[in-house]
Amino acid sequence: MSKRQLAMVMDLNKCIGCQTCTVACKTQWTNRNGREYMYWNNVETQPGAGYPRNWMEAGGGFDENGNLQDGIIPDMVLDYGVPWDYNHDELFGNADTNILSPDSDPVWGPNWDEDVGAGDWPNSYYFYLPRICNHCSNPGCLAACPREAIFKREQDGIVLVDLDRCQGYRYCIAGCPYKKIYFNPKLSKSEKCIFCFPRIERGLPPACAHQCVGRIRFVGFLDDEEGQVYKLVHKYKVALPLRPDMGTQPNVYYVPPVLSPPTFDESGAPVEGSERIPMEFLEKLFGPEVHQAAKTLKEEMEKRKRGEESELMDILIAYSHKDMFRLDENYYQQIAEQQGLKGSEFFKIVDYRYVQGPNTEKVKVESYFDVKESKEG
Amino acid sequence: MKTAFKATLAALTAFSISASASEFSDFYKYEVLNAKKVSKELTANVNDSVWKTVPGKYVYLYPQISVRLNDKKANSLIPKKKLQRALVKVAYNDEVIAVYVSWKDDTPSIQAKYDTDSYADGVSIEVPNKFGKGITLPYIGMGDENHPVTVYLQKTVAGRDYQKVFVSEGFGSLTEIKEKGADISMKYNKQTHLWTAVFVRPLKTENSNLKAGLVPIAFAIWDGKFQERDGNKSLSRWKFIRLKDYNVDKDYLSYVAWGVPYKKLGDPARGKQLTIQNGCNGCHRYDDQKVAMPGLAPNLSDIGGIANAPYLKESIVNPDDVIIRNLNPNRHYNKYAKPDKFKAYPNNDMYKWYTVGSDGKKHSKMPPFAHLSEKDINDIVAYLKTLRNWKDFK
Repeated sequence: MSKRQLAMVMDLNKCIGCQTCTVACKTQWTNRNGREYMYWNNVETQPGAGYPRNWMEAGGGFDENGNLQDGIIPDMVLDYGVPWDYNHDELFGNADTNILSPDSDPVWGPNWDEDVGAGDWPNSYYFYLPRICNHCSNPGCLAACPREAIFKREQDGIVLVDLDRCQGYRYCIAGCPYKKIYFNPKLSKSEKCIFCFPRIERGLPPACAHQCVGRIRFVGFLDDEEGQVYKLVHKYKVALPLRPDMGTQPNVYYVPPVLSPPTFDESGAPVEGSERIPMEFLEKLFGPEVHQAAKTLKEEMEKRKRGEESELMDILIAYSHKDMFRLDENYYQQIAEQQGLKGSEFFKIVDYRYVQGPNTEKVKVESYFDVKESKEG
Repeated sequence: MKTAFKATLAALTAFSISASASEFSDFYKYEVLNAKKVSKELTANVNDSVWKTVPGKYVYLYPQISVRLNDKKANSLIPKKKLQRALVKVAYNDEVIAVYVSWKDDTPSIQAKYDTDSYADGVSIEVPNKFGKGITLPYIGMGDENHPVTVYLQKTVAGRDYQKVFVSEGFGSLTEIKEKGADISMKYNKQTHLWTAVFVRPLKTENSNLKAGLVPIAFAIWDGKFQERDGNKSLSRWKFIRLKDYNVDKDYLSYVAWGVPYKKLGDPARGKQLTIQNGCNGCHRYDDQKVAMPGLAPNLSDIGGIANAPYLKESIVNPDDVIIRNLNPNRHYNKYAKPDKFKAYPNNDMYKWYTVGSDGKKHSKMPPFAHLSEKDINDIVAYLKTLRNWKDFK
């Protein structure tokens, strides 16, 4: 329902689970003010319980007729995990102890089941699944909010919480099938991944994508036919939404991990043409289109092996950030120019409901950010 | 009919309570909270000795199930809820009105400082921004577009005094305001297991003037134990504060007192048959009538507790008077419509409770049943008033 839609593609064949994205996001947005437990970006292993624990069984999303489904609100201790610290100060000071121990007795946390996966040795398997908010086309969180505090920006489809309207009721958390909106107990309001919109508006990709060591993330507008995101999603159809059956039309797409190593037979020999990660599992995660995507990826890979040209493989090699992050050649600055906005007014070009509500008295943006009028030109 | 009684009563000006004591005695007994005029200053102090001198009355609050929210755990607790009872006292002086609300809660809940799924106990009152002669009652669920209300809310949130004032025109429209002179306090007594809250506000504010003989007021209580917040709560129907300093408008009294007590109003068994004959169950779910798709219209299973008889009558005869914007219209999207280029499906208008005319005016999707006879309407309202069941909530 937005005019344009930003999207991200993540190539799971290349994710090494290093958590650099997680750290980039955490240090940028969630290391303070009641957000300490949140991971707007997390990397979990699948098969696994994920983060928050068992999010796939926690309800939300829409049924096959488009009706919002009931969901649950994960528990801080049992499902998210309370962030704990270690006794580093003690150990490196005049310590009576030389044992590293956490300052609480955690029972669950993000990546608690990391690398556990499924299957039996030597055919056990797992892969990494980085997750951010999917900035869905029919967001479950937005639909669930009785205050209508959640909105989707016209300009780019980023889903944001209007913190002035949010009253901390938490129905959004129940409504999001990905559990990617979080309750901030300190503010008593819900908060979520903002697709790093202040960076995006300046032509920079989200921090998680920019920092990605494996260069697995592509960012761009879904209707930008020159962009790599468009090509992966629409031209080659190898990037698929996660759990499309949950009915929210997510806008983060994944190149499924279909290039996994083979299985081994009883003698320990690799089985020709076999896949370690079962296609049934990938189908559950990415829908029936995963079979065609796998076929395309393998065919294009073979082409390249034969020394032929493959645009798809070239894209997935991720040669240049400039091509991977196509924020449409200063799309936002063009809007600003059209509206005749200058200097700090630039903040106003995009929906600023994030910082002030549509029904509350307008406060000057400057007073929030202490922005000095720039003296350009 | 309404015009007829207006005409009959038009000649009378001053109103004497004693003269009509018999006619309206049930209304005064069950629906009216007599405020006590005091000369001293009124504050939000729950321990103020003034409350020992103010007589109170019990108000009953029913679990809200007209609209269904989407928290699975909270929904599973609804059938286990009990009818809430709050003791209400009202005092006023020349400038300020104070409302004292006290209710039992064996499990006081505070929304924790560092937790995702703990919920606060809380209490709120609402008053219509406009009321009196010729003005119909607002929708009980925080007003409607024709009837804005002011809502005063106090919740028990750890680490802060969570009190807010809102102006609301129905679901999703709550907007926080700063109202000068408004204050709330809420305290728990461990010995008596009672929560007590006191709300104070100036009689006259920017949004409403309560200097009237009969002031509509409604109450809501949230119990954190049942994971209550927002529309998941218990609420009363409109009650009326009697401020003796001000005259009671006769027309208004006749309007709000209509149908009290409901047991004398008509024949509920016949009323039920009439609701079926008139197809109410095509959109509404109530009683044993469960054919309508959930969410198509307000669920009426518990309507008798939370809606006043004149409101029910008005809703039948002239549904356009109270246009209730349904809970977030994005809750249902139309899977059979063409999605946009980003696969977004449009909202399913079938679940919208109103239509917008070519003049831009909103109309309730419910057709008016003004053609029904007075007896039919009385019987239907008498029946609706008996509906007070939340135990079958799913």
